[in-house]
Amino acid sequence: MMQLSSVYYRTNREQQAIRNAGKWCQMAAVLVLLLCNLSRTALADDSQRTKAIVTEVCAACHNLDGNSIDPTFPKLAGRNPDYLVRELKVFISGQRKSDLMGPIVATLNTDDLRPLAEYFSAQKPTSGQIKDVKAAEIGRKLFQNGDESRDIPACAGCHNIDASGNSRFPRLAGQHREYLIAQLNNFKNDVRNYSSARLMRELTKRMSDEEIAAVADYLNGL
Amino acid sequence: MPLNRGNIVKWMFKTLLILLLWPLTLLAQDQSSTNVSSAGQKGWNELNGEKLEALKLNGDATRGEESFQVCQGCHKRGATGSASGAYPRLAGQHVSVLIEQIADIRSGKRKNDKMLPFADEHELTTQAIADIAAYLHALPLTPNVFGKGPGNALARGKTLYLRDCLICHGENGEGSAEKFYPLIAGQNYKYMLREVGFIRDGKRGNANPEMIKVIKPYSDADLAAVTDYISELEIH
Repeated sequence: MMQLSSVYYRTNREQQAIRNAGKWCQMAAVLVLLLCNLSRTALADDSQRTKAIVTEVCAACHNLDGNSIDPTFPKLAGRNPDYLVRELKVFISGQRKSDLMGPIVATLNTDDLRPLAEYFSAQKPTSGQIKDVKAAEIGRKLFQNGDESRDIPACAGCHNIDASGNSRFPRLAGQHREYLIAQLNNFKNDVRNYSSARLMRELTKRMSDEEIAAVADYLNGL
Repeated sequence: MPLNRGNIVKWMFKTLLILLLWPLTLLAQDQSSTNVSSAGQKGWNELNGEKLEALKLNGDATRGEESFQVCQGCHKRGATGSASGAYPRLAGQHVSVLIEQIADIRSGKRKNDKMLPFADEHELTTQAIADIAAYLHALPLTPNVFGKGPGNALARGKTLYLRDCLICHGENGEGSAEKFYPLIAGQNYKYMLREVGFIRDGKRGNANPEMIKVIKPYSDADLAAVTDYISELEIH
């Protein structure tokens, strides 16, 4: 079993490392949640409980402040809490498939999803570095205007002009280039095949690989 | 026929009968013509399914603005449509027309594969359709800045418009909310030209059969002329 989003970019060794990290997170998650549940009364308040889950379960990949270091893991800082809860739920239901996230989210309590989403949403998002200035300019045009000749809508229509997102569509500004490319390809190749992702599946099929990379470069720099 | 008393009585009786029945035949004719047109209306614009459901709902313009996010990637903020005419202007359109067109595209009656994923049930609920229609209808009718025709066939276009189009679409292209006739004033020339071509050639699945009949004899030049004229119409 291999995480599908990683097909394009990871060597076997990296994949092994990620799988190990995933297992470690999973074990940690079970342990922490067990402890949290046992000592529920002992914890002063829910924010401490949330912080504990963040520290032990999420931070290894997404970082404490939600700005992940590894570009294959998404930044969560500043993303809309409604959106984050929705995605956590599609991970839990198995609609959004991930060998990594699947076992981890399975350990989460439904009651914890909202506070976790609120925590990451409240973190300050960071910007990335544009890798290819020329490509980023092509990406900017496509993101802001789309391409009418091929019925590619402006991404800004849903994700906002500044890519800050909203409750229905995620923030993309500053997101890792690698992660964006992987996810756009997951849409294009029908890996993210749940019904609510139909729109993205359709429109990524209208985009070339170069355009996907260009949009990712632009967004990373925001 | 000899002119005797019996024949005169027969003639008078026939005349009386005709005079009595004449209004009835007129009435019958009237009814049959009403039936034809309402049958056309029925086939064209049957109010059922999601269309009827959405029409019954109270649209909320504030919610509609949010739901319109998924549309504005193509139709632009403020629903001005695009300069190329690939996507129509929607601002100011009648609620009934907007609901009908979205519902028809969703049901496949008006075929639009490119738009379908954006009007998917996971993106738009029936309530969201009503909300979007309310939002778009309330948008201001700004002048048609980038959607005018070449302006070289306005006289011919006017003649055709006054003869064939005015009766439904109105003097200023205002259409009719009640009859589901679209507002066409301020619409993009290239968009309209594409669509009237589709309507004439039977490619727009939900076109009004009455309109197909009217523009069937139109040449491409006629369509361009009348569209040129329409693109100059303004509602103040």
